[in-house]
Amino acid sequence: MADTDDLGLPSEIAARLPGPRDTLANFRALREFGADRTSTPFVCDVLREAERTGRPAVQPRCGVGGHPEMLELLRTLNEAGPAILSVTVDSHTRLRRFDVASTLLRTDPTGLNGYPLVAHGWQRVRELIRSVPVPLEVRHGSPDPRELFAVAMAAGITSFEGGGIGYNLPYSKDVSLGHSLRAWQRVDAVCGTLAEAGVMIDRELFGTLTAVLVPPSVSLAMTLLEGLAAVREGVRCLSVSYPQGGEIHQDVAALRAIRSLAARYLDEDVEVYPVLHEFMGVFPRTPEFAGLLILHGGLTARLGGATKVISKTVQEAYGIPDAAVNADGIRMTALGASEMLDFVRLDEDRIAEEQHWIEREVTEIVEPVLGAPDLFAGIEAGFGEGTLDIPFSASVHARSHIVPRRDRSGAIRYAECGGLPFSPAVRRRQAACLERSGAPGRTLLEAADADIHYFLEKENVFTTAHGNRGNR
Amino acid sequence: MNASPGARLVILGVAESDAHAVANHLIGMQLREQGFVVVNLGVCTPLSEFADALDLHPRAEAVLIGSLNGHAYQDLKGLPALRAAGRLGRPVIVGGNISVGSRKSSSDRRRLLDLGVDHILTDASRIVLLLDMLRATKVAEPQHG
Repeated sequence: MADTDDLGLPSEIAARLPGPRDTLANFRALREFGADRTSTPFVCDVLREAERTGRPAVQPRCGVGGHPEMLELLRTLNEAGPAILSVTVDSHTRLRRFDVASTLLRTDPTGLNGYPLVAHGWQRVRELIRSVPVPLEVRHGSPDPRELFAVAMAAGITSFEGGGIGYNLPYSKDVSLGHSLRAWQRVDAVCGTLAEAGVMIDRELFGTLTAVLVPPSVSLAMTLLEGLAAVREGVRCLSVSYPQGGEIHQDVAALRAIRSLAARYLDEDVEVYPVLHEFMGVFPRTPEFAGLLILHGGLTARLGGATKVISKTVQEAYGIPDAAVNADGIRMTALGASEMLDFVRLDEDRIAEEQHWIEREVTEIVEPVLGAPDLFAGIEAGFGEGTLDIPFSASVHARSHIVPRRDRSGAIRYAECGGLPFSPAVRRRQAACLERSGAPGRTLLEAADADIHYFLEKENVFTTAHGNRGNR
Repeated sequence: MNASPGARLVILGVAESDAHAVANHLIGMQLREQGFVVVNLGVCTPLSEFADALDLHPRAEAVLIGSLNGHAYQDLKGLPALRAAGRLGRPVIVGGNISVGSRKSSSDRRRLLDLGVDHILTDASRIVLLLDMLRATKVAEPQHG
């Protein structure tokens, strides 16, 4: 059975951790009422409850460098009624530059773009967990998160985001997939051990990838491969995230396909929760239009049956939001998912057709990998040959020969499938969807630019017609 | 998209401190579409790696360096030393967003040109035009030895 000793941590990090018995006792104590009459649910408890009610749990991203400031941020955001809160980790810690993070924490904590969790240590993270009544998830972007994970577990964090593909290719230039997959395998194995001890850790897989024009079947294929790897190690609670593309039929179909694909490929005793990440691309600049997109995200999550939705803010176009605006994003997202919009009905035939094709595309991408004798070797070989691929990779270990485009409805399609092993039927359908789209005479660069700035262009049309307040 | 052995070749990449992958991929695709062989070094590429790539691919017409995070000057400071050592002997074209802040002053351009940057582009759609012009100029020059 794997425990944190099996993570292969540097001794100076391992020496500062509490023992496995203390870690386990701390997890169990979370749900019990203490002398202060407070208890904290696990993230998986919150997800089960959201599933029961049919309203997605709302969660913001949030993380600042200093500890008092982080406590303050969590307390402020909690007033907006999120179901889960985040500890977003700074990029030095993501890249395992713990010394740099420690130094900045001492000298200039505002220079950190997140909470340096390893530098703060598990004792302070326990304080964060006790400061609010909702559970915390650690969000980061690390291809090798073993130290971060060990400290998070010692603290009692019950949800940990990432995977060997989704936290490697969009974030790192040259970390081999073999390395990241094996690092995450060890993380998943510890989660498996904890699950057997009755401590259910939610593992959220980052289907958002590079966040720019990600075709649904690319996102779902990558998280399915990561999910298979995680379940193999004993993970029993998976959150599978998908990035809002902006065309609601396609987004609803993708969220529903997460469930059907999980039912087909994963053990039935694994809990699988679809998660919508509100639009991660180039965001509108005016508060009105940005607010509309956020509301739209909440509605999309509810219609797609997402268990959870990660909220955005009207300051998205300008960088990391301040606490008040972040709290507004939680409220706006919750409103979009509320009964106020329960009258909205979509064209179910159109969704069913989209879902059929998404599932077929995912199957065509993953089946050759699943036929390989070894899953990780199959994944590495697939990326090497281009039969697995993602658009706009930051890493040299994916070819990025896929060219995504929006069709006339705004749905994200494949203009070029690269080396993906698609059948003629899938290729014909993709080509047909794009045939009716796009202004003629545009170069590839101009067309891609317009698709990336899709909501900005819509916003420009709107403000030309209606003016804008010119604020921000 | 298969280029012939005699196809024109360029070296492409993003400056050392910069992780912006999207424009890099789009420019690579655009150039391949135009028949170029593109040696794409990707994001976060130190200047010395551009020099190494040129040593490996001496027929490259130009070295294209993207910089969107405003730190072009810091990332390219090593150019004079590399040129003094006889390396990076091709037109170095820097494109993107060359300094922090929304207004670009002529002094930002001047600093880069003083380092030995040959051309600065803010519009990626003009890359092929510039490469064609550079080639025409080169062909027109008298050939020595």
